[in-house]
Amino acid sequence: MATANPTQARAGAAAQASAVEVSPVSRREFLYYIWGASIALLLGEVGAGIIWFALPRFKEGEFGGTFPFSVSDLPALGDPPVSVPEGRYHVSVVSENGRKALVALYGVCTHLGCLPKWEPVNVRFACPCHGSQYQIDGRYITGPAPRGLDRFPLTITMADGRVLTNGVDGLPIDISDIILDQISSITINTGKKVTGPAHGAEPALSVGKA
Amino acid sequence: MSVLPFPSFLDDIKEKGIKKAIFEGVDNIVERVTAGMNIQDIREALRGETPTRRPNPRLQPHADGFWLHMRPSFFHKDMTGLYPTLRLGWLSTYMVAFETITGMILMVWYTPSPQVAYGNMVNMLANVPLGQLMRDLHRLGAEGMVLIVTLHMLRTFFTGSYKKPRQFTWFTGVILLFATLFLSFSGYLLPWDQLSLWAVTIGASMIEATPPEIVGTNLNLLIRGGPEMGANGLLRFYLLHVLLVPAVLFIFTGVHYYKVIVHGHSLPPKSENIGEDTAKRVPLDKRVYFIPDMLTSEVMWIAISTLVMVVLCIWFYHAPLENHADSQITPIGTTAPWYFLWIQGALKLGDKVLWGVIFPGVYLAFLAVVPYIDSTKSRRFADRRVALTVCFLLMSFTTILSYMGLSEYGVAASADTKIIHEMTKEPAYNKMGLLLPIPFDRLVPGAYTTVQFEGDAPDSAAINFNAEIEENGLRAELTSQLSKVHLASNYQTLPFVAVPDNAPELHRALEEFYELLETNHEELYNAWGVVIVTQNQEGLKRVDVLISWDEVQLDTGRVIKGEDGLPILVLDAEGNTTRRWSVGHVFVHENSAYFEN
Repeated sequence: MATANPTQARAGAAAQASAVEVSPVSRREFLYYIWGASIALLLGEVGAGIIWFALPRFKEGEFGGTFPFSVSDLPALGDPPVSVPEGRYHVSVVSENGRKALVALYGVCTHLGCLPKWEPVNVRFACPCHGSQYQIDGRYITGPAPRGLDRFPLTITMADGRVLTNGVDGLPIDISDIILDQISSITINTGKKVTGPAHGAEPALSVGKA
Repeated sequence: MSVLPFPSFLDDIKEKGIKKAIFEGVDNIVERVTAGMNIQDIREALRGETPTRRPNPRLQPHADGFWLHMRPSFFHKDMTGLYPTLRLGWLSTYMVAFETITGMILMVWYTPSPQVAYGNMVNMLANVPLGQLMRDLHRLGAEGMVLIVTLHMLRTFFTGSYKKPRQFTWFTGVILLFATLFLSFSGYLLPWDQLSLWAVTIGASMIEATPPEIVGTNLNLLIRGGPEMGANGLLRFYLLHVLLVPAVLFIFTGVHYYKVIVHGHSLPPKSENIGEDTAKRVPLDKRVYFIPDMLTSEVMWIAISTLVMVVLCIWFYHAPLENHADSQITPIGTTAPWYFLWIQGALKLGDKVLWGVIFPGVYLAFLAVVPYIDSTKSRRFADRRVALTVCFLLMSFTTILSYMGLSEYGVAASADTKIIHEMTKEPAYNKMGLLLPIPFDRLVPGAYTTVQFEGDAPDSAAINFNAEIEENGLRAELTSQLSKVHLASNYQTLPFVAVPDNAPELHRALEEFYELLETNHEELYNAWGVVIVTQNQEGLKRVDVLISWDEVQLDTGRVIKGEDGLPILVLDAEGNTTRRWSVGHVFVHENSAYFEN
């Protein structure tokens, strides 16, 4: 049957359907549906409860902390980064835009959580799992990693009370004009992680100040 | 009148005599245990005779017994040969049982805690009778199960057995494949060795990459039980491995087999017309009865596969156990198990959300819905060119990705790092550094150099080498390199000698070291290697390995060659070559398990 009007066609189908006697929802039937819906709701709540139960909770300050770093351990410019395995970070002295600068890198690959190793011959961090590579200042070179190495904020306290920090951006702190003997302490805060630089990021120095 | 105040066996004896009474009693018990077959029936079946009793007692265990209630009482003759099933479905089912039994045995000696799990492994290998065999069987069984399940799936694809009306059977099969892979993977973590920790760290990080971020982060926390893999993560993987995933696997094994029975085992494509499904209509002359033919055949198959596995585990295969998990060092050459290499290869291609989550997800989802996409009627090869092409393309693609997943592909390490690793690496995948298996007493202290192999006179070569490095100033540099790795100062200037005759294994290892340097002579230009064995403490020796070479220009790990075909050296401001050094060391204890005592 060719029908010119779609509305007519739908009406025809409805008429055919109603030919199969379907009585409206009765009170008993309706109550069963409500009952079923409440069981489904309850099961949903149970599922949410199980997830809530199983999710680990953290207390403030439980994860990460402030690590002191000895000034005498600072590498010279051009030397390999100093690794601190217990804090999972590397401290690099880098030459950024011609300035000598200090940066603390989180040692975990931004790809899938393996630990890249410093390769002195190729002068880069290389990840043994999927081959991501990073420069000495943590910037991305190649591989599947989505960005450069993440960073931890550094705080340099001088003997005269001046404080240098990169708490905002985690970028290398310019230490060209600093005499190492006048540093009274260096601390690294592993409780705060700064997301690493994107692919192709230019070398940049921290704007300082937290 | 009864002997006792109630009817008893004694009455039977009184009535029939003791011999007949006992025989009838046993016969009766056998018939009850088998739910319908007495001794005579069993003997007739085993002799290959037709049953004499009516109704056929060989059908009774299917009708009345629990164990065979889901098994058909007869099969179609066309599917009882090796082709078309290759018995892979049956063997998959057997592997489930096999893994459950060996797994439950292993649980006796296992505690899911980072403090003790690794110790449990060592204890099982060293002190538990048959402990190593059980571990090997469970591990080999797991690998075998993945293999058999995959082959079963390929076979089902090739014979077109996933087509209507068996689409849902295939779908549940994909769920079973997924459960199998996850069981294998979760079992990986339990020994708490380096392999476990890093394979699972990668796996959990892939889950973390699930978009959107809030879902990924929380899934990751749920599965690891914390920000890093630790005690909580181990316990959770253990619970998944021994409870949740097996439960899913058992339930879906039931659903899967029920569907197989409901639709009947599909016949070879050529034995029925296109679009026909005659599996459930088995003519009388085509019937092969479960008892005794299929039953004995099935028992034979699982007996053979058990035998093969036991033989392999006794003489040819041992489950790997690496060093204790160390969350501060990712070992070089970390790879996924072979059945996940394709994901590891894909992960090297780029974005982890795309290649680590979406790609494997879409891959498995595609497999699950294949029967609903490929809805053509014919199961014959000639009519399924597109489907078979897609299948072969996918297989090739997966193989290539698996190759890319190997640590040789795309993971850069400089030649010196690789060679030092090759010399000193801790055992992994049943391989270890060349220096480790040298018997303790034949690891003779002294300073040795690969220069001794350049020419025919090892002794004079070593003496000349001493003079040479003294002259060109490399001795001082060598001493300073050794001092950096804290070798005791009295050993830093040991004169080099040729390897003595009482150290043949050391000689061989040094020679292989020399060959490795030769193979990499372009990147490691003018290289020589040094092995220094020292002993500062009773029962403990230290072996230092050092490579020295002239630095050459590299372009992302490849040697740049000049017009003369030689590598271009890196020169300093004064035009001198740059000498590079690479050092590694390993300690060997006299009770190490590296060598046979």
